[in-house]
Amino acid sequence: MSAIVKNKEIFRFAYFATILGLCLIGLALLPRISIPLTLSYVCYLMASPLIPFFTKIFRNRNFAIIFLLIVFTVVALIPLFYLLPSLRSEIERVQYYLPRLEGFIQSKFFEIKLFVQNNFGIAIEDIYLQDIIAKVKSFSAKILWNLPTFLANTLEWAFLVPLFLFFLMKDATSFTRILLKITPNSIFERFYHILHELNTKIGDYIFAKFIEASIVGGIITIGLLVLGVKFWVLLGILAGITNIVPYIGPILGAIPALIIVYFENGFGSSFGGVLVLYLIANVIDIAIVFPVMISKIVDLHPIVVVISVIVGSQFFGFVGMIVSVPIAAAIKLVVLEFYKKIYSPL
Amino acid sequence: MSSYEQDRQTHGTDAQEKKIDLSLLKYFWQAGPLNFSKQDSIPRFLRKIKVLKNFSDSELFILSKYLNERNFRRGEVIFQQGDVGIGFYLIFSGQVEISVDDNKFDFDETLAKGRYSLNLERYDFFGELALLQENAIRNATATAKDDCILFGIFRPDLDDLILQYPVVAARLLQSVSMIIANRLFFLTQEVRFLKTKLENRELNK
Repeated sequence: MSAIVKNKEIFRFAYFATILGLCLIGLALLPRISIPLTLSYVCYLMASPLIPFFTKIFRNRNFAIIFLLIVFTVVALIPLFYLLPSLRSEIERVQYYLPRLEGFIQSKFFEIKLFVQNNFGIAIEDIYLQDIIAKVKSFSAKILWNLPTFLANTLEWAFLVPLFLFFLMKDATSFTRILLKITPNSIFERFYHILHELNTKIGDYIFAKFIEASIVGGIITIGLLVLGVKFWVLLGILAGITNIVPYIGPILGAIPALIIVYFENGFGSSFGGVLVLYLIANVIDIAIVFPVMISKIVDLHPIVVVISVIVGSQFFGFVGMIVSVPIAAAIKLVVLEFYKKIYSPL
Repeated sequence: MSSYEQDRQTHGTDAQEKKIDLSLLKYFWQAGPLNFSKQDSIPRFLRKIKVLKNFSDSELFILSKYLNERNFRRGEVIFQQGDVGIGFYLIFSGQVEISVDDNKFDFDETLAKGRYSLNLERYDFFGELALLQENAIRNATATAKDDCILFGIFRPDLDDLILQYPVVAARLLQSVSMIIANRLFFLTQEVRFLKTKLENRELNK
């Protein structure tokens, strides 16, 4: 290869890497854009298989897109309108409820501590409990402080997500075309392949997790409402969100509900009822939703999943736990691609 | 004419009259003699490729939207033998050299090894196996002999095409399978010929 060609290729490579890097850094630094963009991407993944079908019905791609957009907006807004007021009142009530709960937990902890000390002769340090309570307190205080901004954000998203969704559905292919056009020749095929794999696999994973979280969250919200547990909306949403975290998530989601029920009624029929409800929701998740939707999408070894969740929580807290698995899957894909290049038989 | 055929004909034409094939109209509009932009010269270029002769004009127009234009400078490597490949290329302009280096195969040390090459020009195509194979490995190296413009179609494009325009995708797969079937036929003949040659040789010994 002549020197000019080589220089030009290096130049192209630098240009491409700079643009890609700037986009990624921009997305990482601007959560106000990246969060609605991610949400609309999830919606896009759900809508995109339907586009060809509706295009055939309407004989026009743009009409099909607008139709799908309206359907999605309506479907997303109905539960938002119904749940938002009760969610708000629940969050407001939590701040009066938490101090009482804290006293209760501390007294219980003291009992357990005495019991352990008398029977095993080991003293449990108070620090763990203090630490957990302090964390929960600061977390809920943060939520309460940020409630107005959160609501404002929801309004902003309600405007931005449909807008992004529309242009994603309309122009996603042309965006990829532009990206591919500036891809340097030497890495073009590999890059296109990885991009496609990432898009399908990670997209499928996000989509499946979203559905899984909605199913589990829905079951638990309705179940708690039927059982008459306090804060049913909040606990249902919490269960849905924590369910995204593999293995540990379902337990994390169940603990607050069990503590609240225990505080209200002690070990009784309602405690058993809530326990059974969470068990049923997770059995449905593990037995039906998970094997059908997720297991084949990202074939990561369970140990890798657990390690990536721990690493994610170490660096980025709860958000890190949620995004760790798709990022691990993406890293695996890229590493595998380089492995193929380096160890190919020819 | 049987009643069934009559029935089918009347209903068939009825149904077809109601549909307005927008992409066909668009094609006619863009294929007009007064239109000289580059975009519409792609379907005309595709028309002249022999293996795409089973495509109708409007199907070629749709296919042309799924092609990736790639520009290569003289001497630039398009793909290397042993690379993982995902698609095939049509030569729009320029010349491409395909070369096979036997030294890269390590199946038998005793056989004589060489380097073969072959030149391809406008309307030729190469790399079609990678469109069908999972984890396809390139059998040869392709290098641009001049500054070339190539049109590539890759597996992700094919996936999209299958979802959006199944008929066009089927046509494309038909073309590629035709190429491969022809090659397999010649390959079988070659193997048979070599086999009889070898047997005769052993008999003569």
